Amino acid sequence: MMRNLIIASLLLVLVAGCKKDNYEKPKSTLTGRVVYDKNALGVRSNGVQVELWQHGYALFSKIPVYVGQDGAFSAILFNGDYKLVLRQGNGPWLDNADSVDVRVNGSTSVDVTVKPYFIISNASFAKSGTQLTATVTVQQINNNLPLESVNLYIGNTNIVDQVNNIRSVSATPDISGVVNLQMTLPADAAYFARVGVKTAGVAEQVYSAVQEVK
Amino acid sequence: MKKFSIIFLFLLTTSCMKDWLDREPRTILSDQQVWNDPKQIVALLANFYDRLPSGSGLVDVNDGADGRLFQWRDMANLDDAMWSGQSNEDGRNNMTSYNYSSWYLWNYTFIRDLNLALENIATYGVNLTDSQKKQYSAELRFLRAFNYFELVKRMGGVPLITSQLIYDYSGNVSNLQQPRAKESAIYDFIASEVDAIRNDLGNDGSVSRANKYTALALKSRAMLYAASIAKYNSLMAAPISTPGGEVGIPASMANNYYQQSLAASQEIINSGAYTLYRNNPDAGENFFEAVTKKASNKEVIFVKDYLLPTRKHVFSYDNIARGIREDNLGSSSVTPSLNLVESYEYLDGTNGALKIRTADNTDFIYYDKVQDIFANKDARLYGTVIYPGTTFKGLPLSIQAGVMVWNDSRNAYDVVEGSDLGTTYTDGKLLTGTSGPHRSIQEVSNTGFYLKKFIDPNDKTSTRGVQSDVWWVWFRLGEVYLNATEAAFELGQTGTALNYINTLRERAGFPANSVTLLTTERIRNERRVELAFEDHRLWDMKRWRIADKVWNGSSASADAMVYALYPYRVIRPGNVHDGKYVFVKMVATRFRAPRFFQLGNYYTAIDQSVLNNNPKIIKNPFH
Repeated sequence: MMRNLIIASLLLVLVAGCKKDNYEKPKSTLTGRVVYDKNALGVRSNGVQVELWQHGYALFSKIPVYVGQDGAFSAILFNGDYKLVLRQGNGPWLDNADSVDVRVNGSTSVDVTVKPYFIISNASFAKSGTQLTATVTVQQINNNLPLESVNLYIGNTNIVDQVNNIRSVSATPDISGVVNLQMTLPADAAYFARVGVKTAGVAEQVYSAVQEVK
Repeated sequence: MKKFSIIFLFLLTTSCMKDWLDREPRTILSDQQVWNDPKQIVALLANFYDRLPSGSGLVDVNDGADGRLFQWRDMANLDDAMWSGQSNEDGRNNMTSYNYSSWYLWNYTFIRDLNLALENIATYGVNLTDSQKKQYSAELRFLRAFNYFELVKRMGGVPLITSQLIYDYSGNVSNLQQPRAKESAIYDFIASEVDAIRNDLGNDGSVSRANKYTALALKSRAMLYAASIAKYNSLMAAPISTPGGEVGIPASMANNYYQQSLAASQEIINSGAYTLYRNNPDAGENFFEAVTKKASNKEVIFVKDYLLPTRKHVFSYDNIARGIREDNLGSSSVTPSLNLVESYEYLDGTNGALKIRTADNTDFIYYDKVQDIFANKDARLYGTVIYPGTTFKGLPLSIQAGVMVWNDSRNAYDVVEGSDLGTTYTDGKLLTGTSGPHRSIQEVSNTGFYLKKFIDPNDKTSTRGVQSDVWWVWFRLGEVYLNATEAAFELGQTGTALNYINTLRERAGFPANSVTLLTTERIRNERRVELAFEDHRLWDMKRWRIADKVWNGSSASADAMVYALYPYRVIRPGNVHDGKYVFVKMVATRFRAPRFFQLGNYYTAIDQSVLNNNPKIIKNPFH
């Protein structure tokens, strides 16, 4: 009897306690991509972020939104007006401190246009035994900073970049023509491959799409 | 009622007495009392000295409001060591990258207290003699310069506040919002303050209060930092700088800074006030004592001292080797890496990489005794690191990972490791030592090495009941020799540089003139091995602008990963190798993510609350 009473009162507390003074969790979603010339730019997962700021509240600090390796990002937010801005000196593109006004209401989508230093196009990978050859076209979009290197990465999972890789080769080629990079694979097996372009003085690279080679 | 009226009347009459309410408070000291009493001023100074921040230190304090900062655990965050202590701190081995807010310091509460003290001593200290006033003011200015150095090496140029900022209740705070000074301006401020106060400091021979040579040691280090930032930042593919110079120093200023650093170093060395510690004929023990021993130590210049039984810390409890711990818990937290051990050269001047495998990599190299692999190494290794086969406090360390049992059918060794420490193999001899190493147990070395520097050699000091009073060394002559070497070498005075570096190496057991060809790499490696765990490595890597190259976040890198060395006893009856020892090098098993220092880590991110309060403060690059 006593035990039932205790359980009953505990249940009552639990049920009643959850009702009051709790906010609804945010439900609206903001999705978007970092684009140049309408194409999303490949980046390092967990490396590049955009910032969301909201004025009008006592606590004024950024909401960091990481950009996935395919250049897309998403955040679950409360409805409201936000300012979206690139993190300065973070991505493989020119700094731009201009913010984009974003009104989040339900499901919202926004594309952030950037000016990258370099872009990669026509990436293709050919595997023959333990030899992997990557062929890419690297195009310089603006001349503010020089090319440091073009890198080929391979990994065991489909998250591949300068940090998450099992082997890499690096070269500083002439990019006026098609760039070829060669690598000896650890074994004759399937890997995920990706090419990144490093701009001197910029930590983050711009990458091609990840591709499985087998 | 009548009584009450009488009391009331009485009160009325007496309260008319003059000065009745004008009384000295009994519980608060007035400014006049404090700033005219040398004892109270010294007590205040003690508080200020205690608040000087450090990157690591020997205690765990992070009091933003008070400005104190000591994080001994941060010793395990670089490539010289990893965390082998309690597993709830394993995050230090798993950092995907250094946070942009790492090494943050913004202790303007401390700066304000110093500025306030400087102004009060001038205003209220009427009964002090001139020389007392001068000395106390000089000490306060030294502390302020020291703290600005701690700020500038982390944050770049910071607002240079040298007087109290007072709010005038006008509703306008713009005069309180000071912009960041140039990075070079902070370094120039440190140099000019040292020059202004050096002859007023007094405290000759003191290691816990600043004297002339303490100030010069600060200048020697600060000018070297400024010079190398000026030089090596400009050599980067894209130098890190802001348009206003808050970050980045022009290359043209490097020469002057190197000259100032060299002059300060030479004044300390030539004064004869300090000498390299050489009291113990055993070079390894001597190097351990040079940092740790307090009695007749003429090498240390400035320390944060502790004194049993009241002023003490638990650094030895947390870091003593597992097999000789005196408490029932703790030990083994910061364990040196094989990376560090291999950076100690052989005494014949050859590369310090340990000889583990035969030249053609087909077999192990076999050693009769477990310590033989470390024979003829730089004696500073013995003074800094506890390695297999050594003793500490007169107690032998039992460091062995397991046994290698020859398997005839496979024509190879089977590796057998104990599931616990201090275990015996079926042949009745040792399997896994009482000090490990072990792949997974917490509070036992994961790398095969233990920390020796700063560990108290006295009885019971690794217990929580007694604790340790080993001091933390801010400045010692060994560093000044290396500062002089580096500055002289950069200025093209190679002969002078060789003289300094060779003197220091002789103390470490090398023969005379052991270096004849000086290179930047050699000087950098010398700093790493001489000053390991004394809070230099991070700042050195930053000012040389190589941190992002060495700690590049790649698990394939030899420097970004922390390596371990596991000793095994060979069991191969009838073979010449039976009973000998072999070693296996590997990435430490509890170490999971490579060190990743990004360009945005060269200058720590300024907190958003600071930016919100003061719109004149600009962000550091990459943030």
